[in-house]
Amino acid sequence: MTPAELFGINQTIWPRHFAVENWSRAVERLWPHVRNSLLVSAVASVGTLLITAPAAYGLVWKKPRGRHLLSSFMLITQMLPAIVFVIPLFIVFSKINLVNTLSGLILADMTFTVPFAVIMLSAYMKELPYELVEAAMVDGAGPLRAFVMVVLPISLPGLVTVGIFSFLIPWGDLIFALSLITESGLQPLTLELYKAMGQYGIDWAFLLPGSVLTAIPAVLFVILASRFIVAGVTRGAIK
Amino acid sequence: MMKATVANPSGSIASKARLDLSPYFFILPFVIFCLVLLLYPVAYSLALSFRQATVETFVSGDMPFNGFAQYQAALADPIFWRALVNTILFAFFSILFQFTIGFLLALLFQANFPLKNFCLALLLIPWVSPVLTAANIFKGLFNEAGPINRVFHIAGLGPFPWLADPVYAFPSTIVANIWIGFPFNFILLYAGMRSIPEDIYEAAKIDGATFWKRVTHITFPMLQPVSVAVLMLGTIYTVKVFDLVWIMTGGGPANGTHLLSTYAYQVGFSVLNFGQAAAIATLMVLLVLVLNLLQLFLKR
Repeated sequence: MTPAELFGINQTIWPRHFAVENWSRAVERLWPHVRNSLLVSAVASVGTLLITAPAAYGLVWKKPRGRHLLSSFMLITQMLPAIVFVIPLFIVFSKINLVNTLSGLILADMTFTVPFAVIMLSAYMKELPYELVEAAMVDGAGPLRAFVMVVLPISLPGLVTVGIFSFLIPWGDLIFALSLITESGLQPLTLELYKAMGQYGIDWAFLLPGSVLTAIPAVLFVILASRFIVAGVTRGAIK
Repeated sequence: MMKATVANPSGSIASKARLDLSPYFFILPFVIFCLVLLLYPVAYSLALSFRQATVETFVSGDMPFNGFAQYQAALADPIFWRALVNTILFAFFSILFQFTIGFLLALLFQANFPLKNFCLALLLIPWVSPVLTAANIFKGLFNEAGPINRVFHIAGLGPFPWLADPVYAFPSTIVANIWIGFPFNFILLYAGMRSIPEDIYEAAKIDGATFWKRVTHITFPMLQPVSVAVLMLGTIYTVKVFDLVWIMTGGGPANGTHLLSTYAYQVGFSVLNFGQAAAIATLMVLLVLVLNLLQLFLKR
């Protein structure tokens, strides 16, 4: 579909020709930003799992003191609007030179993913049989060994779901990228598309294919794992 | 824990202490993350709301304490009130329609039909996709010369200034948000309905209860805990909405579509008055708390 066809005088309800060149042009322009987005999302996702998987195990089964306080704090952070984090992180990050770095963006994105991941993983682990872990410990495994050899394998479906969500949240993030990244070479996909609506009017032939392409990981995820999403979301949200 | 001690026959005080510490070892990275990247920014934001923090103070490095001046300035700004009313209306209408559509779809999905799982997966796409995708597509649909006006044109109406006039632009953003948010309501209500035991419906059917009677007398009351959770989560998420409105309208035209989130962002990053933006952020948190308490109260 061409821009003239989209918004022109002789407009049709259904596009008459599909302009493949819009799509290839969008892919070409977006590719460097896809790399940034992939890097940020992948590192944020792995980092989130590294922090939250042991934490969920510790909180649910080891019952340390202060766990109720931590759980309440997680629920409260879910209620906080992004702006509560964006302003302090921008000010602090500009003092320690983390503005305009992908590491800064990753850390900022993790303020969204970590609380969410702990809530979902804790709910998941509550339903797993703790006897398996105890059995491993009777057999002489230390806490760390039991965690790696028993807890992680039996939690795998939950870890995969949470890992994918922790990938998709940074992937779709706009507010942190918009505030922390100004250098065009470091811009993730969403920011490049946002900037396409500049002062020179909107480049629809780039914006619409680009926006649709941005949704590809989410669509893939839904096709591959819709069953896990339904189970994971309902467990995390209601219990 | 007891068995773990047995597995460690040395039994000394030292080994017991080591075992007691292991939970803290597991949660340590998480606790550090919470302190540094969650608690510290929240405290910083709260502190900032009582300080004068603008471009000048940002450069000079000190941010003088000025009490409630930021709050007073925010409350004196008519755009703040517009944004507050908009946020409440945005949340109310979004949730009303998201919940209704989600509920009706969930009812529909209790029946079996071909390609059901495929349709279920398809319905999840608006929710897991980046908000930016939906925002840009709706921006295109609502464009003056876009497909929606084209349809109205065929009916002999319009063109309507969907995004160029606040009277139209605000409902347009709500429509887009309903589209993004209904799948979340749908999944939770769908799962909630599935957990209601089938025999209750069977018994009611034998007693001659109509479909609608069964919905109002069984589904509604038994789904209530789930509904409350859905509505509260919906409120939390909707008050937080930023990307959608920022992309579709940027709060305009004439500041008419600002939500508190976009207004706070504009004050922070366009006007560069961080202190006042932090004050608005604190007021937003209070709003979420009030709305949620109100819902809990209404449910009683």
